[in-house]
Amino acid sequence: MIRYLIRRVFALVPVALGVATLTFALIHLVPGDPVVAMLGDTAAPADLAGMRHQLGLDRPVLAQYASFLAGLARGDLGESISYRQPVARLIAERYPATLELAAAGLLVAILIAFPLGFIAGAKPGGAGDIGAMGFAILGISVPHIYLGPLLMIVFSLDLRWLPLTGRGGIAHLVLPALTLGTALAAIVARMLRQSLIAVSSSDYMRTAIGKGLSRRAALLRHGLRNALTSVVTLLGLQLGGLLTGALIVEMIFSWPGLGRMLISAINARDYPLVEGCVLTFALTYVVVNMATDAVYAMVDPRVSLK
Amino acid sequence: MRLARVGQAAIAMAVCAIAAGACARRGPEHAPGTVQIDIESSPTSTDPRFATDAISSRINELVFDSLVRISGDGEFTGDLAERIERPDPTTIVFHLKHAVQFSDGRELTSRDVKFTYDSILAPGSMSAKRAGMIELAAVAAPDDYTVVMTTRHPYAPALELGLQGVVPVGTPLPAESIEAAPPGTGPFAMRSYRRDESVTLVRNPYRTTPFDGAREILFKVVPDPTVRALELAEGICNLSENNLEATVLPWLERHRALAVSNTPGTTYRYLAFNFHDSRLRDLRVRRAIAYSIDRAAIVNSMLRGTARLATGMLAPESWAYVGDVMSYGYDPAKARRLLDEAGYRAGRDGMRALRFEFKTTPEGARLAEVFQAMLKRVGIRLEVRTLEWATYYGDIQRGNFELTSLQWVGIEDPSYYYMVFDTAMAPPRGSTNRGYYSNPEMDALVEAGQRTLDPAARKEIYARVQKLAALDLPYVSLWWVNTVAVLDRDLRGFEPYPNGSLRSLAEVTLAAPGGAEPAQ
Repeated sequence: MIRYLIRRVFALVPVALGVATLTFALIHLVPGDPVVAMLGDTAAPADLAGMRHQLGLDRPVLAQYASFLAGLARGDLGESISYRQPVARLIAERYPATLELAAAGLLVAILIAFPLGFIAGAKPGGAGDIGAMGFAILGISVPHIYLGPLLMIVFSLDLRWLPLTGRGGIAHLVLPALTLGTALAAIVARMLRQSLIAVSSSDYMRTAIGKGLSRRAALLRHGLRNALTSVVTLLGLQLGGLLTGALIVEMIFSWPGLGRMLISAINARDYPLVEGCVLTFALTYVVVNMATDAVYAMVDPRVSLK
Repeated sequence: MRLARVGQAAIAMAVCAIAAGACARRGPEHAPGTVQIDIESSPTSTDPRFATDAISSRINELVFDSLVRISGDGEFTGDLAERIERPDPTTIVFHLKHAVQFSDGRELTSRDVKFTYDSILAPGSMSAKRAGMIELAAVAAPDDYTVVMTTRHPYAPALELGLQGVVPVGTPLPAESIEAAPPGTGPFAMRSYRRDESVTLVRNPYRTTPFDGAREILFKVVPDPTVRALELAEGICNLSENNLEATVLPWLERHRALAVSNTPGTTYRYLAFNFHDSRLRDLRVRRAIAYSIDRAAIVNSMLRGTARLATGMLAPESWAYVGDVMSYGYDPAKARRLLDEAGYRAGRDGMRALRFEFKTTPEGARLAEVFQAMLKRVGIRLEVRTLEWATYYGDIQRGNFELTSLQWVGIEDPSYYYMVFDTAMAPPRGSTNRGYYSNPEMDALVEAGQRTLDPAARKEIYARVQKLAALDLPYVSLWWVNTVAVLDRDLRGFEPYPNGSLRSLAEVTLAAPGGAEPAQ
């Protein structure tokens, strides 16, 4: 297992290289100019040219790419054009906020999805199933941009239980995490239901019930663990959705995360900062999926990682 | 049975949420005596030598003083300078006030002023302010309280050079600094700057604070306009200026704790033509477009009265303003006649062989659709192209458009006419005359305006400029955007400025939240 993980870590290198290259190509391909965005309307062409030179933006794109990669190899993400600060420092400032939000969203999703999925999967076609799956459809259908303000109005303005916006303690986290986690919860609940229904007809379940366990107890003790494999896969894959969803939620709740910084970096054509942010998102995604594989081995003894 | 359990779970979750919420409400978000202002994005820089965006300027002018300042009625007045002399056309002498202190206790001298300007003018400064100081040849400090500026040519708008916020000598570049911001001599000092979260200002301890004056200003970054409106309604935020959607104003007006202030502003919105397009070089076509836009209807309905119909770039607040210029009311019949004369006859469906591309950003898309509908009435097809901001801005600056609408913000001196309409300022040499407008008569006037120092003669020149611009129509003047502030009624003494300045925050007082919801 350790050897497997080491191999996977090395496999990160080509992934990072691919993402870095793709991002670099895309951001340089789209029209727009960081220097114009920064110096604005009234800048003299000589100043624009001077600044381009100073930032090395007047060099051939391939040369810029080479020095970008060289910096990356040293772990140096460069300096942000608009903030004039090291990209690594800026990302380090903001990344915890996004991780916190994504983790809370994931937690909310699990907390909602597991009871719902279990209720639905334990007795397919029953009232619990219909109710839970109805909720799931609603959860998938309501977009963040609508759910966020709705939760704000109910829980913050009307009931005054929770703060409206910003980052602070746990209370600040509740509404953004609910907004972010609901859609994922809906998907996971449906998946868990399907898996539970699938394992219900397996031999070991019949054996367990035959030995006198109630259907519910058998599902809880033996079925759930077997049904988890597919759910864990789904959670890993959906993390990408969680990170991009976080982008919108960050805007609504004034959450100082990486997503908002990425958006302003794109608007300013702040090349190094865009590259740094995208790379961070991509690596998070890859690492989480790696961790998912490791979790498989834990929940399912049949899976061995070599 | 099962449903009962679901119900129990739901109740348990709700109780958890209440508990969490109850904890959060105990700690106030900000101390009493603090004014909270919601802003849409973080200031890009807290160093006045580098910041050019509107939000940075609004905040920085509370922290940093400059040699001169623009008053509420658009006039230059001394700020750090108590007296200004112009001994010859290329020299301006500023005599500084004595005993002015930075927020760290140091006394301000002319060396600080010289340092500020020199660090911007240094070739490697990478400051966006440098371009605006291209006419400034040198800054000298002959004694502690005298600053002498020399310009390369006789330069009429030279006082604008004095608008730069002053930092103490030796202030490092932003990238090398760990402080929130350099100290300034303004009424406030910056205590903290948290990117994309908030900026906190406290009183400058070396300046007298008015009795009862607000002790702290908290600028909170709230990107979503609906949420900004909610925070005002809720009493969390005390003031929002020029960043709310016109559609929520009636709703905010209904709140008894809030006052909506809608006062004249100087931000100028215009419709620009590209003169490289031969159809648009025809004055009749430009005028037809002007006559077919029902500006009054747009201002009254879409903008809910938050703008004034414009006659030109300069607003009536300017000393050089002239109002009796050619104006273009809504007159579709006249527009049709002009288009017929220009040879664009309407087909059987009422449409003419005139199709223009109108570039805009997502924020401007609604307005673009209104123009599209209005021009259709006279038989002109408008194709709206909505582009993401950086792409749009790049296109506009390169003159790569047919029609577009934008605004000029912070027009203080009529010398802006030179930047906007002089042939020399067209791309690729310049980037501000984006429509490639070129008229020798206009060039002669705006160039003379740059060199003429005598106020009466300057006024005469710009009167002719304004009349010519209205006749020849390089732009269709649409409207001047009002300064719209929504504020807590407990906030006393706030004075909106036509240019959106928040300078009056130095004098405001925040009454004890009597009866009103205490700040959360």
